[in-house]
Amino acid sequence: MADRVGIVAVAQTKFQPNRDEVNAGELVWETIEPVMKETGLNFTDDDGNGDIESIVTCSQDFWDGMTISSMGVMSFVGGHHATEDKIAEDSLNALFAAYAQILSGHFDMVLVSTHTKESMGDRSIIETAAMDPVMMRSLGLDFFIAGALQARRYMEKYGVTAEQIAKVAVKNRGNGMKNPVAQEPMNITVEDVLKSKMLVDPIHQLDTKPVSDGSIAMILAREDKARKITDKPIWITGVSNCYETHYLGDRDLAECDALVAAARRAYKMAGITLPAKEIDIAEIADEYSYQELLWMEGLGLCGRGEAGRLIDAGVTQIGGKLPVNTSGGMLCGNPTVVAGMARVAESVLQLRGEAGERQVPGASVALAHGATGAAGQHQCVMTLSNK
Amino acid sequence: MADEPQEYIKVTYTKPRPYRWAAGEYLSRLYQECRDNKKLMTVRCQHCKQHVWPPAKVCGRCKKLSGNDWVEVSDKGTVVQFTYTNFPMFDPHAGRYITEEYPFATIDIDDSEIYWVARLEEKDKSKLKTGMRVQAVWREEDRGGGLDHDILYFRTIEE
Amino acid sequence: MARRVAIVGVGQTYHKSHRPDVSQMELVNEAVRPALADAQLRMKDIDAVYVGNMETFEGIYLPDHSMVDFSGAYMKPGFKIASGGTTGASILEEAFHAVSAGIFDKVLVAAFEKQDSGDSTGAITAATTPAWGKGQARGAIHEFAKQALSYIKHSGATEEHAAMVRVKADKGACRNPYSHLKLGLKSVDEILSSEPLEYPLRLFDFCPQSCGACAIIIATEEEVRKITNKPVWIADTICVHQEIFRAGAFCDFTDKERYSQEIAAERIYKRNGITNPYKEIDMAEVYEPSDWEEMLIYELFGLCPRNEGWKLVEKGITEIEGEWPVNPSGGVLSSNPIGATPTVRIAECVLQIRGEAGEHQCTKDIKTAFATALGGPNWTSMILLKRSL
Repeated sequence: MADRVGIVAVAQTKFQPNRDEVNAGELVWETIEPVMKETGLNFTDDDGNGDIESIVTCSQDFWDGMTISSMGVMSFVGGHHATEDKIAEDSLNALFAAYAQILSGHFDMVLVSTHTKESMGDRSIIETAAMDPVMMRSLGLDFFIAGALQARRYMEKYGVTAEQIAKVAVKNRGNGMKNPVAQEPMNITVEDVLKSKMLVDPIHQLDTKPVSDGSIAMILAREDKARKITDKPIWITGVSNCYETHYLGDRDLAECDALVAAARRAYKMAGITLPAKEIDIAEIADEYSYQELLWMEGLGLCGRGEAGRLIDAGVTQIGGKLPVNTSGGMLCGNPTVVAGMARVAESVLQLRGEAGERQVPGASVALAHGATGAAGQHQCVMTLSNK
Repeated sequence: MADEPQEYIKVTYTKPRPYRWAAGEYLSRLYQECRDNKKLMTVRCQHCKQHVWPPAKVCGRCKKLSGNDWVEVSDKGTVVQFTYTNFPMFDPHAGRYITEEYPFATIDIDDSEIYWVARLEEKDKSKLKTGMRVQAVWREEDRGGGLDHDILYFRTIEE
Repeated sequence: MARRVAIVGVGQTYHKSHRPDVSQMELVNEAVRPALADAQLRMKDIDAVYVGNMETFEGIYLPDHSMVDFSGAYMKPGFKIASGGTTGASILEEAFHAVSAGIFDKVLVAAFEKQDSGDSTGAITAATTPAWGKGQARGAIHEFAKQALSYIKHSGATEEHAAMVRVKADKGACRNPYSHLKLGLKSVDEILSSEPLEYPLRLFDFCPQSCGACAIIIATEEEVRKITNKPVWIADTICVHQEIFRAGAFCDFTDKERYSQEIAAERIYKRNGITNPYKEIDMAEVYEPSDWEEMLIYELFGLCPRNEGWKLVEKGITEIEGEWPVNPSGGVLSSNPIGATPTVRIAECVLQIRGEAGEHQCTKDIKTAFATALGGPNWTSMILLKRSL
């Protein structure tokens, strides 16, 4: 019987733009210091004695404008004479890597740190650099445009309406009003969303997230250690990820096969057979509002093309049968890369009963999701439990 | 057809990628002192008591906050190693090739644990010696571009 | 309980300075196919794909995404790791954790660099913290120039010693079909008269910039039995980072600080009951960007006392026919596809342990070997490999 891996501490910065007064390391320290204090754990000393023998960082060189961007934070995460690797995908994958490090028996406790300062770079220029350099880059295609293509295809294939998509923005920005770390919570209506500036058809201004800076830190530990550190460890019960093909034309963008595959593997690990029934809350990467609906379907929380009906029926509201993005989601402002761990942070708070006004009573099983790349080319799914 | 060498097409892509980097709390203080007072300042770690260079909020060796014991750093030192490049190198921050005309030296800064790699004013290689004493030469006008900009090079001094 | 993991397949490209005939993705595929063939597996047998690359070198963000059809990661789990020069070993380390943990049974790791698509030195210079390092165009060469100066000061080694290391590397490279630089060096004079780069390094003292890829397939014990009768077991891996030395990046001029290499070696030897590495390990493939650095590496990994690495060179101990071969493949001095370089080190150890290194096979029987990786401000990864556990 394998040991379990638990999350024993979480810290998030309040997400904000233009954190010009701090560099990457200082931004990361804002979340490292609290998790170390809360747990009473220490970094290793020069002889390698100490609690945090391994650190997994998560940042993108292209966003930090720095080769080996983990070097910019190494002093702040206790890297001296310790082990560190940098995962270069959405940070949910960094948690996956840390989980593997502990489950293998090679490490007892791992510190995971992610950061991005979106304000310091140009999103579009950076994202176009991810597209095939010979075939696609000169089109100026970035993830926003890829998302818009996907949104349009999804709406056409399944009859999802602009109103249903707008409801995601209304719900999530409203939820954000109850989340102290949310950057841009708002009380808005569907009409507000549809009247907001059309940026890339069919995506409106209020369907998109603001430019955001922030960091998150978490400590993971093997079960026996986790129980000593906190009386509310949150267990990672299932996790997987998956790649989709790169060329947008090779995909039916209304489908998300990679997400379906990743979710299936994660649920199998967790022993979840009926996700819609067994999951109490879901945190889904909604970089653009249509994505919450599409990813819900890929995650098996409802049938294909049905997420619009679910949001119409209020199922995914706080107080509904399956609340989605009680945190306010990415839409309220999470930086790219950091977003995945923000989904887990909210899951942890909910499962610990510490989500304040957003609390879903009795939440016991949570689903966290993170996506990277054009139209979610890389997907990662994690299930968590407090039992 | 088989005898003709195949032509391989190259697709070139040149696009500047602009960034706005924050120096952060501690480095900003140093850069401010350089710009306004031609002074080098850094913090002495409250735990190990060594100079943290460049100044940083956390001492990486102690893995703790460096604290706020800001001290002035001498702008004089001794050359312990020197080298010079013989070819142009691309500087991504400047966006162009730089043919480095000046030698570089690792300079043991007086009364500190700081070893600073900087340019030397002396271009005549035959005059370079380890052990020679050098002092920073400040840019007189338009400082405020960071250390490598505000200090032009280190000049050999008689001492 | 951690499961035992072995390497069951390796593949690498013929490393060259320019590969205008392939795109980056095709280059990776060129290493993936032979690795699958070596393991006699199909892509459908692989559970996950880990890709390693430093994106700023080729200017491609998320390269694992654009190459998903060529790395075989399509519809599979996978990761992209970017931890500097050690990336090529990091992918193996992370895959090792996941397979040991029982998350995957068979994993392909692939790393690459297509140096002709970008500017590596420029990209390395971009590793300096931007606000601090702006305007200091120096790259890795500068750091190894300083390392050479420090090494000369502390050990008394001469240029001739460094040149002898270079000649040894070339001998191996000329016997290794995959290596990039095959210079046919006959004497140290050819190195000493080569073009000066950055004092005291000359052109031949430093590694080239190569285009290349390397892929390795690892599997859990039960799977290994079905796949091959020549597994190479991963006994242990370790990765140690460090704050940048006060006086240097890869060499501590003051001689007061501890090196990540020493620490990695100490810890991995202790964990594996190795008290005399010279006797209990047979050879190594190390990451040596310069010939001077190789001599220091001998010392840091415990093959000889400090400041005496040059003595091993004088006595020919680290030659292919020698008592303790180091880099029989020609090493990094002959081929440096940066991201793939550590993976190539591991793959070469695998070939040696299997006795399949052809003309560059060591004379002595290789049962245990280690591969090292170097990155960032002297970060180290070390992989310990054995014919049997």
